[in-house]
Amino acid sequence: MIPELESLREQVDEELKTARTEAEFQALRIRYLGRKGLLTGLLRNIANVQPDQRPLFGKRCNELKEFVSAKIDQHLAELAVSEKEKSLRTERIDVTLPGRAVRYGSLHPITKVRDEICGIFAGLGFSIEEGPEIELDYYNFEALNIPADHPARDMHDTFYVDEKRVLRTHTSPVEIRTMQKNSPPIRIISPGKVYRRDSDISHTPMFHQIEGLLVDKGITLANLKGVLTHFLKKMFGEETAVRFRPSYFPFTEPSAEVDIRCVICGGKGCRVCKQSGWLEILGAGMTHPQVFKNVGYDPEIYSGFAFGLGLERIAMLKYGISDIRLFFEGDLRFLEQF
Amino acid sequence: MLVSLKWLRDYVDLEISPQDLAGKLTMLGLEVESIASIRPDFSGVRVARITGIKPHPNADKLLLCDIWTGDRTIPVVCGATNIKVGDVVPLALVGATLPGGLTIKKSKIRGEVSEGMLCSERELLLGQDHSGIMLLPEDLPVGEELGAALGADDTVFDISVTPNRSDCLSIIGIAREVAAATGKPVRYPDTALSENDEDINRITSVTIEAPDLCPRYLARVLKNVHIAPSPPWLRQRLEAFGLRSINNVVDVTNFVMIELGQPLHAFDFDQLAEGRIVVRRSQPGETFVSLDGKKRVLPSDAILICDGKKPVAIGGVMGGINSEVTDGTSVILLEAAYFQPSSIRHTARLLGMATDAAFRFERGIDPEGLIRAVDRAAKLIADLSGGDICKGVIDQHPGSIPVARDIVLRLKNVEGIIGASISAEKVIKILEALGMEIKEADDETLLVTPLSSRVDITQEIDLIEEIARMYGYDMIPATLPHIFAASDSSGGRRIETETMIRRVMNGSGYTEVINYSFIHPSSVDDLLLSSDDRRRNQVFISNPLTEEQSVMRTTMVYSLLKNVLKNFDWGRSDIKIFEIGRTYLWESQSKESSELNKAAFLITGRRYEERWNFDDEKSDFYDLKGCVENILDALHVPAPSYRAAAGESFLHPGKSCGIYSNEDRIGFLGEVHPDVLLRLGISAPVTVGELDLDIVTSVAIFKKGFYSIPKFPAVLRDVAFLARRDVEAKDFVAAAQQSRQELLEKVDIFDVYEGENIPDGMKSLGLRFQYRSTDRTLTDDEVNSIHSRIVESITRSLGVTIR
Ligand SMILES: [Zn+2]
Repeated sequence: MIPELESLREQVDEELKTARTEAEFQALRIRYLGRKGLLTGLLRNIANVQPDQRPLFGKRCNELKEFVSAKIDQHLAELAVSEKEKSLRTERIDVTLPGRAVRYGSLHPITKVRDEICGIFAGLGFSIEEGPEIELDYYNFEALNIPADHPARDMHDTFYVDEKRVLRTHTSPVEIRTMQKNSPPIRIISPGKVYRRDSDISHTPMFHQIEGLLVDKGITLANLKGVLTHFLKKMFGEETAVRFRPSYFPFTEPSAEVDIRCVICGGKGCRVCKQSGWLEILGAGMTHPQVFKNVGYDPEIYSGFAFGLGLERIAMLKYGISDIRLFFEGDLRFLEQF
Repeated sequence: MLVSLKWLRDYVDLEISPQDLAGKLTMLGLEVESIASIRPDFSGVRVARITGIKPHPNADKLLLCDIWTGDRTIPVVCGATNIKVGDVVPLALVGATLPGGLTIKKSKIRGEVSEGMLCSERELLLGQDHSGIMLLPEDLPVGEELGAALGADDTVFDISVTPNRSDCLSIIGIAREVAAATGKPVRYPDTALSENDEDINRITSVTIEAPDLCPRYLARVLKNVHIAPSPPWLRQRLEAFGLRSINNVVDVTNFVMIELGQPLHAFDFDQLAEGRIVVRRSQPGETFVSLDGKKRVLPSDAILICDGKKPVAIGGVMGGINSEVTDGTSVILLEAAYFQPSSIRHTARLLGMATDAAFRFERGIDPEGLIRAVDRAAKLIADLSGGDICKGVIDQHPGSIPVARDIVLRLKNVEGIIGASISAEKVIKILEALGMEIKEADDETLLVTPLSSRVDITQEIDLIEEIARMYGYDMIPATLPHIFAASDSSGGRRIETETMIRRVMNGSGYTEVINYSFIHPSSVDDLLLSSDDRRRNQVFISNPLTEEQSVMRTTMVYSLLKNVLKNFDWGRSDIKIFEIGRTYLWESQSKESSELNKAAFLITGRRYEERWNFDDEKSDFYDLKGCVENILDALHVPAPSYRAAAGESFLHPGKSCGIYSNEDRIGFLGEVHPDVLLRLGISAPVTVGELDLDIVTSVAIFKKGFYSIPKFPAVLRDVAFLARRDVEAKDFVAAAQQSRQELLEKVDIFDVYEGENIPDGMKSLGLRFQYRSTDRTLTDDEVNSIHSRIVESITRSLGVTIR
């Protein structure tokens, strides 16, 4: 029977060589190792082997069985790997087609700039206050040291609702409302819409400002410079040159205009900075003692500073926008760029 | 204010370049907005002398002149009659260019060679005179370029003068600043004059009937005045400031106004009835023809300067045509007055006459500068017109004028406000450089008297500002104040709400817009708002720019619909936008305005943008509802519900809902009513929604815990019900929840179907019930028994069947 085993082994070797597909290997397994398989059949016929040769025969049979089984497993495994490689080679999608998520919407550039500014001041402990846009003349002007017939009213082309109500021309009335409500220390910023009766390429009748106010004992012009320099460097970059120069606002004294080195030309002079090399960014000043008196604070005890800036101007500089009206036209071709 | 540097040099030495001076002034608070170079509009024109004149051999009206150019004599043919040998004249040499571009060439005129051209004033744009050749002063250096010889080259600063600095609305004021900054002295102009013997009081009188409006009035009289064009130097000064030259009298009044800041007026004395001046307030409805020829209806309480019978000037604003100085004038009355600033401002504004005079009076002139100004003007007029100055000044001073008073400056407050340590010596030096007088000084305080022209300096803080300004803002250190914790703010919570809305809407593909708060008053009609809708109570702007922007909006929706229209025009049909802002209501009860914080949303066109792998589906109500659900979910708004029929006139009654949290109405949502779309001209269905952020913020739960992750599996059961169409999804959910079965974790609607196999008027609704216990794995039997009870209770209570 041993020679039979030998020839079976040769036969298996031959068939293993010719088998190609998974099905052929599975067929081989059944043909040799199945319940009616050739090897199984040989083992079943062990009774025909001489008794003294039976152990050896059995051993050889099992060896061959294991050999065939291992060979088939090995071929199947190789086949699986090559099948996988083949499919990895052939399966392809066009990765350049657009994806499936809904296009993300855009935030308004004014919102983005406002959030950035509020974030910087939040880091300095400023909290947000708000006030009405339809404001009493008293808060918009009188309490801020701008009585009727004051020439400074020329700086504010005002929309009136009636004799005592205006659309606020700046966010400064929030200073008064906040101080009336609270005792010092005060540390607030107040973003919001303001209105002036003006409309052209660089003016819209509605625009946005952020007001800031800090009141405590011992606050100085040097602190004003410190806080606003910190803000401007955060906003426009650490290397930004900042310039404070005297100016006039009726509700602050001393007052300052705050300029940064022109971000367009770097100070050489261009159309945007009107050849001066500087861009006016903020108005600021030490709160006027009369304003403190108007809200019942003692200017002998407290001092403070206030500042205001226009968000459109900053957004225009930041994004290089030259026509302010674009902000309020609702043109998606513009807004979707932000 | 336009400032000629050449003029400025008359009063202070400038040893720095114009650019450096501009920088210095800007850092002093006198912002130089632009620097312009002025050059005459000609070249190649020289000062020359006529050395010989003979008639042209071939033309009666022409002359042959020999002209000495400084280095040679050349022949020039000329047609003027006003020249004689020895005259100094402007000569345009061959190659010269004249204003307008004319280039001079060597030519032959009727056979005679002409190597240049003698020019008239007008040909050089140095004046209006074209009657003959311009005759130059005898002492001009012959041979020199005319522009340089006349001093026509100049640099002009445009200085933005802040409203407090009325003293800098004059060249002398700017000179004082320059002097203080550079340490140079100021040279004040010469006001010494010689008078004749005729006492002014015998010629005229001044009566002030309104001393509150005109506390002081000065007059001088000049006789035998010869009205003539002004000399070039005077014209150049005025032109550099932007004024047109008129005659030697009017020009002097303007010159002195710009020089010293005191507006003046000259009357033709012979036109003054009764030869006297009366100052009174205007009567209601009074009319007057001002110098510009316009008939003005005067506001009441304007200041009228009158003669014995009639008004002759609007005090402080403009003179009258009836007493104007003309070529025939020979006697003039010069006025220098102090008018009450707010009265001038009021009158000038109501009349729309922003004159240079009114601008100075309303900001406050130097109360002690009147005599100097009227004397300066009288002297100049006498010099230029040959007039005689009558003896004396009439100085009526019945009212009170605020004058400079002594101010106590506490030195500790200088450092207390500025935050820099500035020595007492430095403080004193700064104040004295500004012309202030230190009356007393000790270790702690100074007693300071400011210059009378500095009407802005009345209290200690004004002095501190001056010190900071002159010390230099750039010298002050930048230091951060000590930081203290943020206080809680009213704005905080709502801003969190807004931030969340922006996040959800951005993620859903919506773009933020910001619209004007003011809109067209007819918006409420376009939205079909009923007559008793409170949103008809608009706040009107009394002086709008256009009707389109004349009322404050009472809804956000209208603005968004307008955005749709415009974007349609720009070729966009798929629009997803939102806006966060305010609406404004007039509360007719309390007669107050109120402002509401809102968020509004809009979608029209495709649900998703056009893309190869997106379904090409139109958006509808449910797109926006999904966003609102996400927002309310993100803000943990409790018990949100959506109730059919929003009751909004501008929404489709069957495709809209009110949005609620418990019983609080927090907004609405729906398709826009087709009638509204028709009115606005929008051709596609649009869905809009609005949330009231004040209410949403008040009900939102900002600090929320979390649910632990369930430990045991859920068991699902699906059922399809057959119901009448008007049974709403929420009815099924409510009926299921009514069972109060705590093992029922949630109910979802997974399918809605109408059509084939479903009877008319009916719909099929597939519900998925999810059961779970927190302490064990539920068995099938357990779930089946609960589930069948719930399903049975739904079918019974809603009258629906299982499909
Ligand atoms: Zn620039």
